[in-house]
Amino acid sequence: MVLINTEKYIAEAKEAMKDSNLQKALSSFQHRIGPATAATYQKLPEGPELRLKAHDMRMRAIENLDVLLEVLADNIHRRGGRVFFAATAKEAVDYCLQVAHQHRVKKIVKGKSMVTEEIGFNEALIAAGIEVTETDLGEYIIQLAREHPSHIIAPAIHKTRKDIGRLFADKLGIPYTDDPPTLTQAARKALRAKFMAADMGVSGCNLACAETGHITTVSNEGNIRMSTTLPPIHVAFMGMERVVASLEEHDILFRLLARGAAAQNMAGYVSYVGGPATSDQSDGPQEFHLIIIDNGRSRILADVEFREMLCCIRCAACLNVCPVYGKIGGHAYGFAYSGPVGAVVTPLLVGINRAKDLCQGETLCGACQDACPVNIDIPRMLLALRAKLADGDKDWNVVRNSLAEKVAFQFWAWVISKRARYDRFLQLGYLAQKWMPGADGMISRLPLALHGWTRSRDIKSVAKASFKKRWQNRQS
Amino acid sequence: MTDQPKSSDQVRFLDTIRAALGRADAPPVDFQSVIDNDLEKTYKDALAAIANRTVDQKKELLKNLEQAAQPLNLKVKPVKDIQTASASIAELVQSKQPEWGTHKQVVAWQHPLVEKLDLTALLAEHNIPVVFTEQLSEAATAEKIEKHRRQVRQSCEDAFIGVTAADFCVAETATLVMKTRPGCARSVSLVPSIHVAVIKLSQIVSNLKELYAHLSWDFTHKAEGLTNCMTFISGPSKTADIEFTMVHGAHGPREVYIYVITD
Ligand code: SF4
Repeated sequence: MVLINTEKYIAEAKEAMKDSNLQKALSSFQHRIGPATAATYQKLPEGPELRLKAHDMRMRAIENLDVLLEVLADNIHRRGGRVFFAATAKEAVDYCLQVAHQHRVKKIVKGKSMVTEEIGFNEALIAAGIEVTETDLGEYIIQLAREHPSHIIAPAIHKTRKDIGRLFADKLGIPYTDDPPTLTQAARKALRAKFMAADMGVSGCNLACAETGHITTVSNEGNIRMSTTLPPIHVAFMGMERVVASLEEHDILFRLLARGAAAQNMAGYVSYVGGPATSDQSDGPQEFHLIIIDNGRSRILADVEFREMLCCIRCAACLNVCPVYGKIGGHAYGFAYSGPVGAVVTPLLVGINRAKDLCQGETLCGACQDACPVNIDIPRMLLALRAKLADGDKDWNVVRNSLAEKVAFQFWAWVISKRARYDRFLQLGYLAQKWMPGADGMISRLPLALHGWTRSRDIKSVAKASFKKRWQNRQS
Repeated sequence: MTDQPKSSDQVRFLDTIRAALGRADAPPVDFQSVIDNDLEKTYKDALAAIANRTVDQKKELLKNLEQAAQPLNLKVKPVKDIQTASASIAELVQSKQPEWGTHKQVVAWQHPLVEKLDLTALLAEHNIPVVFTEQLSEAATAEKIEKHRRQVRQSCEDAFIGVTAADFCVAETATLVMKTRPGCARSVSLVPSIHVAVIKLSQIVSNLKELYAHLSWDFTHKAEGLTNCMTFISGPSKTADIEFTMVHGAHGPREVYIYVITD
């Protein structure tokens, strides 16, 4: 039961652009964090080139994923943790359900995790009669409002303090207030009770370290530490690509992650979790399960054109600079991942035709690559996706977007490949434009399929003689 | 235990990856060949710099720590000796009010440095109990473990201040680094509203690189590994999820104090 709404991209984008609160929030957020992140890269002791080095590190990890995952699993087994390798979303969810049933789990507390959104975790567990509480404040707000997150790092970016005040008054039964500290305190109190009563804690994994056998979790609120310390069972979900070889590489990527995600040098809480509590420790989970998820990633891995996308560490830096995301927000992208990363990853995961608008909506301005802490060439992959849509592709089951468009462009290519042919075409245009509406040397509506070009602007009419002709006439 | 038979899900999963990488039939790749040895060496070299650090340089690190802590709302308190630290912590305990109830109680690690503070005696005259998260004997029965865990949970819930030590403190990012060991319950730095950590000046490292140099190359730390849970704490819990307004105390402690013993 995974929610995929990528087909509604255009309609949702239009809605978002009418929402003035959202527009304000997005623009203020992007102005705040985009430049701040760029500045932190400049201040890296190794210099901003560290991003390029990190890209190589990630590529090397991806190209040795089989080795790294095996070592990671061995090390976690050695400490008494369990590792489950899930080929599909369903396998991942079913395994977790099985653990939950075994221990008669009734209540789960959860830290923010994109991959659980991807596999439809909450829906599945709630359907099985288990209470799932999101504990990141932003996610908690979204869950109370029965919505989906709109930003990887700041899920409730689209809600004003007044919205949240009304929501809390309604759902938590507190007197209305729009004071952020009071609202935060109300959530703190409500969630503290949830943490204490939970039978299972669920987290994602920011980046695992194979050599030492640890996953890492990151938060500023401390909710993930609560979720993974207090309940007797900890289940962690991780996309299979989120692993590096050594502690040293982990250090470098982690420093970049904190900068990309929040322009911070270091997040408030980072935990390296490598297994369950031992019997001589007084607290911590007595069972630890790590679920490593493929769910379409091996297909991305197999295609060298898109393999690079698996370098992504889901920091959201690309969202924070993207002019398209900055206008349409996260919901339009219709799946767990939004912004530039979503525009590439989502089509590859849910189907390129199904999510075609995502990759066609981006501008190819390149801001995402500059902001990316591991320098992923997102524009290149957006173009590669568009090429598949233009030509169709058997390997990815892509049906050609539009035959007419293809024919039109092939015709155009034929026209411009010979000067004489092109001149004759212009001549034809010159004659034909007499029947097109317009004034003062401008055409206000092009015919047939071409009218899109004149929907919001006029286009200059074709001159009687081309520049080349006139130049020749002058010379002679 | 290392060579336990691989589960079928693992075999199938990794086979898929190998096929995707185009090396389904290639000989297995050795993990050591994937590691970047040059990179590791730069970290090892950092250890030498740490070993030759003078007292003045260490005090410089303390200054850096104070500077980094300030914007995080993390309070760094340099004290000259353990007695001064005890007195100052006792004062703090008296001046603060509990967040969730009216009863004042402190929970603390069973750790040499924390025990040396002798808070029990100091706070007894104010009727404030100090509970230590004791280490269980390895031979404890399941029943005993359960009971002990319940008690530790309760004392952390009841306490408004938790007192811990730390393995390291990173000056550049104002980060406390704690491995998990028996007697040092994780909840002490998490559940109470105020977290107090006590460290010695010599535990401050300059930056993350030095920290990882210690963790990877220092003999005792290398032998111990990162343990089953290593935690970094950089300041009190915070959130900016409501209109980007910074609020402290989202879930974890609202206030964090680091006492640095300088002698
Ligand atoms: S593509 Fe780069 S910037 Fe975007 S989320 Fe991934 S790692 Fe971050």
